[in-house]
Amino acid sequence: MSRVATMSRPDSRLTDTVTFRKRITRIVTIAMVVLLSVFVMIYVLLPIYWMVKSSFQTNFEIRASPPLWFPSSISFQTYADATTVIPIVRYMLNSLFVAGTTAILATMISAMAAYVLARFRFPFARLILVIILFTQLIPHITRVFPIYFFIQDLGLLNTYVGLIFAYTGFSIPYAVLMLQSYFRSSCPPELEEAGMIDGCGYFGAFRRIVLPVSMPGIAAIGTFTFLGAWNDFLWASLLLNRGEMKTLQVGLRDFMGEGGTIANANVFMAACVLATIPAVILFIFLQRHMVSGISAGAIKG
Amino acid sequence: MLESRKNIFCYLMVAPALILVILLGILPMIQSLRMAFVEYNLLTLRTKGTPFVGLDNFEYLFSDSVFIQTLVQTIMFVVIVVGFVIVLGVLAAQVLNRQFVGRTFLRTTFLLPWFIPPVIAAGIWRWLLNTNLSPINSVLSDIGLINGNIGFLTDTTSIGYFSLPMLVVSLVRTWNGLPFVTVMVLAGLQSIPSDIYEAADIDGASSWQKFTRLTLPLLRPVLVVIATLLSISGIGYFEVNYVMTGGGPRDLTNILGVYAYDQAFSFYRFDYAAAASSVILILTSFIAFFYIRYLLKED
Repeated sequence: MSRVATMSRPDSRLTDTVTFRKRITRIVTIAMVVLLSVFVMIYVLLPIYWMVKSSFQTNFEIRASPPLWFPSSISFQTYADATTVIPIVRYMLNSLFVAGTTAILATMISAMAAYVLARFRFPFARLILVIILFTQLIPHITRVFPIYFFIQDLGLLNTYVGLIFAYTGFSIPYAVLMLQSYFRSSCPPELEEAGMIDGCGYFGAFRRIVLPVSMPGIAAIGTFTFLGAWNDFLWASLLLNRGEMKTLQVGLRDFMGEGGTIANANVFMAACVLATIPAVILFIFLQRHMVSGISAGAIKG
Repeated sequence: MLESRKNIFCYLMVAPALILVILLGILPMIQSLRMAFVEYNLLTLRTKGTPFVGLDNFEYLFSDSVFIQTLVQTIMFVVIVVGFVIVLGVLAAQVLNRQFVGRTFLRTTFLLPWFIPPVIAAGIWRWLLNTNLSPINSVLSDIGLINGNIGFLTDTTSIGYFSLPMLVVSLVRTWNGLPFVTVMVLAGLQSIPSDIYEAADIDGASSWQKFTRLTLPLLRPVLVVIATLLSISGIGYFEVNYVMTGGGPRDLTNILGVYAYDQAFSFYRFDYAAAASSVILILTSFIAFFYIRYLLKED
């Protein structure tokens, strides 16, 4: 440290004008950063605020011109209405079931594949990884039409099984990529080597040692898989769009499409709030894993 | 002996995942390409079947002015979204990476849009931008910037194919995608060793110089990855455009994904839909090829 101090001493002999100009640029930079951040925060938060605010207003209040920025009273009547006007509880349970089953199935299948891809060298391992990565990258719209007919041929159109089957297939590439980088970075191979010496076979070591040790990571990636299925609209709108069985996204979008937002915008906003809450709770639970997990998965592939 | 037992174990473990990926990933993509070369009209399917028609479907697409418009707008959409997301993401990450009171709170709220499903995001924004009830219009006219309301999603004046609704829809997609990018940039920032900034301090670098000469070049790999991933997903994007505007007004927010979907499920022309999605497949595969090659080199 003392060497640094002596090296930087010439700085203190700078003329006053230079320090003054430096201070001005500093203040301008800070002001710009603050201004831009405020702008970005308004951009990010205004829609969320507007949703929550509208959900507490009466239909008369939300149509006021100029718009009212605050609800006159906090009443949960719109939320009660949301459960009757839109069968939101039923839709949420549908989504919960489909996304939950998908998450469990996809994470199990993916963990197996990800483990061997991360740990062993075997013929075609790299090719398999490339196939998976390619599938993950290419947008879903490029395979919507054949899969629609495929599910139809299987007689699974408008069934939970059909949608879960499709979702499991789509979630796997993502989960495999994330999990294999997780196994590489945060699951030491020494553990299972010790297990194998103690007489576990390959599968025994995976099931009894690797899986329990990696549970936090697997749970986190399972949650992301869940959210992927929970948020999806494209597939659900095609494969499961019959009455009561609709998932949340399809139910909400159909309510919007049928003009429900014209007469019942406040009820719709309340439904949106309700539909967002589960994801936000999971998000808060996941936040710790996010920075490391996402970037590792996305960058290393 | 031991080697082959290990290989068998590996294949057994990979098999379920690989089979599903091929069945629901690779094969449908190939089938989509194949469907683009036959006539596949749901209304005449019974009587005519699916005869091979060569490049007719692509010829139809490229003679359809709406398709050309859609293609141009898709590229516009991708460029706007990637541009905004990177500029705002780097800016936000710079701020969120600093130490200040309430940082955790700010980070959490900032990341919220990530977990708002695209359909709901589109629904909220549609409500927020409702021409007559928008608080944005009311604020702008209160401070005297505008006379009469802006039709954020209905204004059809356009410069070339660029229009206000397109900008608005891109901004909504940006809103939904911004947290992911910010998190990636934050991770990138945290991997930069802090001693190089200390060295720059000793050399008397200003914060702007540190940003442009150190931070940006060091973030470049992360930013390239973000831009690539978002370009690929942007070319096939669907949700926000479909839910907010359905591609309108006058197809000004139409993009390839919405066009393909409409061809199939509104007009029952699965052949045109397959041809349009093949265009998406070709464009995205091209980018994906370079991306995968880059990743393999890194390894």
